[in-house]
Amino acid sequence: MKLPIEMRVDEPPPILGRWRNVNIVVLAWLAFLIILFYAFTRYFS
Amino acid sequence: MTTLDWIVMIATIVAIPSFGLWRGRRSKTVKDYLLAGKTMPWYAMGLSIMATQASAITFIATTGQSYVDGMRFVQFYFGLPIAMVILSATAVPIFHRAGVYTAYEYLERRFDAKTRALAAIVFLVQRSMAVGIAIYAPAIVMTVIFGWSDQVTTIIIGVVCIVYTTKGGIPAVMWTDVLQMSIIFFGLILGLITVVSLMPHGVSFSDAVYLAGAAGKLNAVDLKFDPNNRYNLWSGLIGGSFLALGYFGCDQSQVQRYLTGKSVAQSRLSLLFNAMAKVPMQFFILFVGAMVFVFYVFIPPPMMFEKNAMQAVSTQPAWSQVQSRFDNAWGKRRQAAEAVSAARKSTDAAGIQDSLGRYRAAQTEVDAARRSGIQLYESSQHATFNDTNYIFMTFVTKYFPAGVVGLVIAVIFMATMSSSSGELNSLAAVSVMDLYRRHFRPEASDRHYLLVSKVFTAGWGIWAVIFAQYARNRGSLVEAVNQIGSYFYPVLLGVFTLAFFFPRVRGSAAFWAMLIAEAAIVACALFTHIAYLWYNVLGAVIVVVFGVLLAAVRG
Repeated sequence: MKLPIEMRVDEPPPILGRWRNVNIVVLAWLAFLIILFYAFTRYFS
Repeated sequence: MTTLDWIVMIATIVAIPSFGLWRGRRSKTVKDYLLAGKTMPWYAMGLSIMATQASAITFIATTGQSYVDGMRFVQFYFGLPIAMVILSATAVPIFHRAGVYTAYEYLERRFDAKTRALAAIVFLVQRSMAVGIAIYAPAIVMTVIFGWSDQVTTIIIGVVCIVYTTKGGIPAVMWTDVLQMSIIFFGLILGLITVVSLMPHGVSFSDAVYLAGAAGKLNAVDLKFDPNNRYNLWSGLIGGSFLALGYFGCDQSQVQRYLTGKSVAQSRLSLLFNAMAKVPMQFFILFVGAMVFVFYVFIPPPMMFEKNAMQAVSTQPAWSQVQSRFDNAWGKRRQAAEAVSAARKSTDAAGIQDSLGRYRAAQTEVDAARRSGIQLYESSQHATFNDTNYIFMTFVTKYFPAGVVGLVIAVIFMATMSSSSGELNSLAAVSVMDLYRRHFRPEASDRHYLLVSKVFTAGWGIWAVIFAQYARNRGSLVEAVNQIGSYFYPVLLGVFTLAFFFPRVRGSAAFWAMLIAEAAIVACALFTHIAYLWYNVLGAVIVVVFGVLLAAVRG
């Protein structure tokens, strides 16, 4: 599977240097929220 | 409503669209009207995308859903950040660099005219129903407050919305969204503070959270995998991802927002901003609903929050018995809740366990009594009943202080008008660019298309008002909108996946794969009990598999 040419040309993000780093931060934030909400559910049930 | 409420409400409703119209005053071309001249910064796009989702439905129904069903609905949004990361790296650069007005325009470049037309029609069918439901939501507010017919209020709101959208175009809509989202954040915080401050003396915030949890209202995460359970971690992560991919990647009402960006990077940032902010925001809204539940543990709630239904059923001979059962159960629950609070203060472990047991038993009895009332209504009126959408506004209008009521109602009206405006604008964009200009008048002037865009905006607005009548007695509005989306988005998601990642697949294969997948989804809805979030996975996978197979067969 080959990426279309439009997806291979990119501008850098204004923070964190690379888009990959920004994506990792976003997904880590999601993981943190799920763990937090699970702990919240368990604690108050 | 007090005079102060009216002043706050009218001032907000007049000021915010006026600001949007002022910012969008230079819309003289179709590109300005439909794409804001590609000048929008990331924060405006990000807030606008959030505002589109945070419609009146978000406030009215989500809080009510938490009251009835707990916070498990938050899992529905777990897939959204995953989808945003994928889309910011795929759809955003592709659409931007293709220089298209609509997402479906890209499909003709990649496949053919009939695939573009089919995708455009699928979008028009889905979005035109969703906008009708969205317009209906604030009519509930008016019904609760003024006792007006929701049919009349739907028409009034729809007409105001049509006039505003037709005049402003997408720049006005998006700048309105920016202000609106700011007020929504403010309103949410103010709402939670107000709910907690209204708790009876002696009931702390900690007690309130404890009681909500003990009643099963803080069930935010369920790890058990069950395809028949609508909301658990897995349906949220997998089904929710597919739904969000379809919604943000293939629905013109969202794509149009990030097509207005100054650059690819600005548009990507707008989606990633949403990825981080959306889940906490939904959690917060659901938490407000859970606190409203605790408030009604101490203050008597109506058995059914829809006043008209209560009046209708209260004439039944069996009603007084049901009401008496409910009142008794509520009284026991209140006593048990007070005992829980007292035991917690004295750190009496045995007392806490004992009072908790009584509290939970009373909660079960309250739920059973309420179900009896609902069954009595349904059997006597021959109609389905769901008052989820009435709960929060009943609470706000009865107990919030002067001024705050007006602000909350203004937020709800603005949310509806703003999100519906964006949807009407996108419906017009697809109608004009993908159907009218492509198939009927390909060579007309820019001024002609601008005029036709405004005509289509008004036309779709009228249709939305008519369809809004369907939303009545359709259960929770949030679920209705999402269910409708799950019947159509997967097909769009599948065809865009083929377009982006399977270069060997051509137009006819994609076209027939879409039709096969839609038939499969309809069959699932009619003949199985599979939870609707899974349709998003199923439909998209069928499109991709059949698209690849048909392409292989046809060589």
